[in-house]
Amino acid sequence: MQKSRFLNRIHTVTLQTKLIFSFIATTIIILIVNLFMYQNINQLVNQLDAIYLSNVQLNELGEALNDVQDSMTLYLNTKTSDAMESYYRAEQDYSMLIQNLNEKVTDDNLQMMERMIRNMSDNYLEITNQTVEAKRGRNIEKYKTRYEKATELYEYIGTYVYSLNNEQFRENSSSYKMLSLSLQYLEFISIFILVSVAACNIVLITILTKSITNPLSILSKAANQVASGNLEAELVEVYSMDEIGIVSSAFNKMLVSIREYIERIKESMEKERTMKERELMMGTHLKDAQLKYLQAQINPHFLFNTLNAGAQLAMMEGADRTYEYVQNVAQFFRYNVKKNNETVSLRDEIELVDNYIYILNVRFSGDIHFEKHIDESLTNIQVPSMLLQPIVENSINYGIRDIEWQGLIQLSVYEQEETVCISIKDNGIGMTQNKIDKVMSSELRESDVSAESNGVGLSNVISRLRLFFDSKDVFDIISEGENKGTEVIIYLPNTAMGRKYEDV
Amino acid sequence: MSEHQTKEWKKNKFVLISIGAMLVMILITMGGLIFFKIKIQNSMKEDMHISKESYDKYYVMITPDSDSSFWQSVFEGAKEEAKKNHAYVEILGDNLSVSYSEAEQLRIAIDAKVDGIIVEANESAQMLELINEAVQEGIPVVTALGDNTASVRQSYVGISSYNLGREYGKQVNTLADAYFKGDTADMADKKNEPLQVLVLINANADDSSQNILFSAIQETVESKSDHAGQINLEARAIDTEGAFTAEESIRNIFMTEEDLPDIILCLDELNTTCVYQEIVDYNKVGQITIVGYYDSETILKAIEHNVIYSTISVDTKQMGEYCAEALNEYLQTGYVSEYYAVDTNVITAGNVRNYLGGDADAEK
Repeated sequence: MQKSRFLNRIHTVTLQTKLIFSFIATTIIILIVNLFMYQNINQLVNQLDAIYLSNVQLNELGEALNDVQDSMTLYLNTKTSDAMESYYRAEQDYSMLIQNLNEKVTDDNLQMMERMIRNMSDNYLEITNQTVEAKRGRNIEKYKTRYEKATELYEYIGTYVYSLNNEQFRENSSSYKMLSLSLQYLEFISIFILVSVAACNIVLITILTKSITNPLSILSKAANQVASGNLEAELVEVYSMDEIGIVSSAFNKMLVSIREYIERIKESMEKERTMKERELMMGTHLKDAQLKYLQAQINPHFLFNTLNAGAQLAMMEGADRTYEYVQNVAQFFRYNVKKNNETVSLRDEIELVDNYIYILNVRFSGDIHFEKHIDESLTNIQVPSMLLQPIVENSINYGIRDIEWQGLIQLSVYEQEETVCISIKDNGIGMTQNKIDKVMSSELRESDVSAESNGVGLSNVISRLRLFFDSKDVFDIISEGENKGTEVIIYLPNTAMGRKYEDV
Repeated sequence: MSEHQTKEWKKNKFVLISIGAMLVMILITMGGLIFFKIKIQNSMKEDMHISKESYDKYYVMITPDSDSSFWQSVFEGAKEEAKKNHAYVEILGDNLSVSYSEAEQLRIAIDAKVDGIIVEANESAQMLELINEAVQEGIPVVTALGDNTASVRQSYVGISSYNLGREYGKQVNTLADAYFKGDTADMADKKNEPLQVLVLINANADDSSQNILFSAIQETVESKSDHAGQINLEARAIDTEGAFTAEESIRNIFMTEEDLPDIILCLDELNTTCVYQEIVDYNKVGQITIVGYYDSETILKAIEHNVIYSTISVDTKQMGEYCAEALNEYLQTGYVSEYYAVDTNVITAGNVRNYLGGDADAEK
C-alpha cells in the first residue's frame, strides 16, 4: 500500500519536475564522483610531497651540521670574529633543526634513529661550545681534545643522518609504490563509475523521453482518428498526471462530451420528428373523424334506397324530370361515400361534376351554365377521388353565386407538353392575389370555408394533390382581378396514368 | 500475471525503471567509492607501521655478530622482557650504512645517552674504559656471553665456562666409551689407537673463559673417563676476527693434516657450521664426530642426518631475558645481582625432534 501510494505520488509529479529532478540527480552524481576523484588525487599528491619532504628536511639537517662543524673548524683555525659569528649562527640553526626530531622512545626504527641523532647532537653542540670557549680561553690542550671528540661525534651523527636518509628513502619508495597503485585504482574506479553512470544516464534519458513522447504519439494518433471523423476512437489511457497526462485526460473528456453532445442532438431530432409525425397524424385523424361524422349523418343505404324509391315513384307517375333528378342525387351521394378514399379515373370525376351541376341547376332553376371541353383520350388518367367536385363547388359558391350576370363554368381537359391539364374556369367575382396566395399556402382555415361546403375544402384538395404527385406545381389559381372570373388549373404529369392513390 | 497487474506494471513501468536506474547509479557510485577507500586503507595499513607504541626506556644491544641467529634469539628474548618495564631494545647500528666496531658502537651509545647497554664484552682495555665511562655517565651496562671482569658493569649474563667444559667433557667420554667398545663399526679398526680430540678455540678471545672451558673439558675427561690415558685432547685456535678467517682456518685443518682427529669440539656457532660443511665436502661423514655449539636450523638438521653427533645449546632466549631483566631491575631498584647463569642443553639425535621446527621453549 505504501508503495502504491508512493507510485501514485510520482504519477502526479509534473513533467517539469521529473525532467529537472533527473537531470539534477545525474549531474550531482557525476559531480560527486569528480569531486571525490579530485579530492583523492589532491590527497595523494600531498602525500607524495610529504614523502620527499622528510628527505629534504634531513638534507637540510645534514647541511646545518656541516655548517656547524665547518664554522667551528674555521674559528679554531683563524679565530676571527666573523668565523665565530657564523659558528653561532650555524649552531643556532642546527639546534633549531634538531628540535624537530623525535625525542620519544617508540618501536619505530626511524624514529629511534632520529632520537639518537637528537641526543648525539645535543652532546655534540655542548662539546663544540666547550671547544670554542676553550679556544677563546686559549686552553690549547683542552680545545684540541674537545675538537677531536667533536669531530668523532660529527662523523657519527653524519653517518646516522645519512643512514636515516637512506632508510627513509627506502621506506618512501614503498610508499610511493603504494601511492601510484592508489592512483591507478582511482583512475580505474573513476572510469568505471563514470562509464556506468553514463550508461544509466542514457537509459534514464531514453526512458524519460519515451515516457514523454509515447503518450504524445498515442494522443496524436487518437486526435488524428477523431479529426478524420471517427468519434468512436478509443480513449487514450492516462498513466501519469503530468502535463501530458492532463492534456490526455482533457482530450478524453472532450471526446466523451462530443459523443454525449451528438447523442443529445440525435435524441432531440428524434423527438422533434416524432412530434411532427404525431401532429400530422392528428390532422389526418381529425379529417377522418370529420368524414366519419359526415358519413354517419346519413345512412348511405337508407339514403340510396329512399332516393331509389323516390325515383321509381317518379317513373311510375310519369314524372321523368323528377325521376332523373332523384337518380342524379342518388348517384352523387353514392359516389361521395363509395369513392372517398380511392383513386378514380378522371372520367368518373367528370361524371360526378356533371351530376353535381345537374343537381344545382335543378335547385337554382338552371342558373349555371356548364361547358365541357374534354379530350376523351385523357379521361382514363387516375386521380384522387373528390378532386374536381370541390373545386367546382368552390367556383359556384364563391365565384358566381352572387353575380348579376349569367354564371358560366368551363371544364376543360387537354394535354400540354406531356402534362395533362384540367382547367375549371368561372366568370365570377374573381380573387385578389392576396387571397390566391393564402389559398395556395393553405392558410385559409377549414373553419372559414367548411360551413357551406359538403366537407371537402380546397386546401384539402391541394394538399392531397401535392402528396399524390409528390410535387408542388400541380395546382394553380389564376384570376385577372375583380369580376374577371377565376381559373383553377390542375397539372397532372402524364406518368400519373394508372397510378394508385393508395401508393402515396 | 493478472490483467490488473499487467496494467499496473504498464502504468508504473517507466517510473520503476527510472527509479531502478537512479538506484543503480547511486549504488555504483557509493560502491565504487567505498571500494576505493577500503583498497587505499588496506594498502596504507600495509605500508604504515602497525601502531607505534611508546616506551619509557631505550636499551641498546651491542655485539659484533648481530646477524647470527644466536644473537637474534637473544635480542628477541631481551625485547620481550624489556617490554615489561616499558623499555625498548634495539641492536645498535643495525641499519647504519657504516659498520662500526664494538668500541665505536659503545661510544655512540654513550653519546646518544641511551638508558641501558647490553654488550657482548671482552677483556680488552678499550672495552673496560668504555664500559666504565658509560657507567659513569649513568648508563647501566650488562655484559652478555662475554664479560669484562675488571669493569664496573652492573651485571654479567652468561654461561659458566666451567659447566660448559664439563658438558663437552661428558660428550667426549660418551663418545670414547662407544669408540673403545667398538660399537661404531667405522671405529672398530682403530681400536688400538688413542682417540684424537680437537678443540677449536677462539683465538681472539683474550679472556680466561676459554682457558677455564678447556681445563674443564680436560678435567672431566681425565677424571671421569675409563679410557683417560687413551684420549688425546688438543686445542686449536681459530681466528675469527677478520672476515671469513674462521672458514679458512678450519679448511686449513682439513687440507694440511694427514691424521685427522676423531672428534672435533666446536665452541661457537660459526665454527660448528664450518666444520660440518668441511666434513661433508671432504666426505668424512662417519669418520669424524662433531660436538657442536648452539642450535641453529642448519646444525639441528645436521644432527638429524647424523653428521653432527651432538650440540650444546645455550638458552639464548633466556639469556636475552636475563639481560633485560638485569637492566630493568637496576633502573628500578639501583641494585642487581652480578651474575646470571644461562641454562645449557645437550641436543643429540635422540631429542633433536623437540627442537626442530619448533621453539626451544616448547621443549621445556
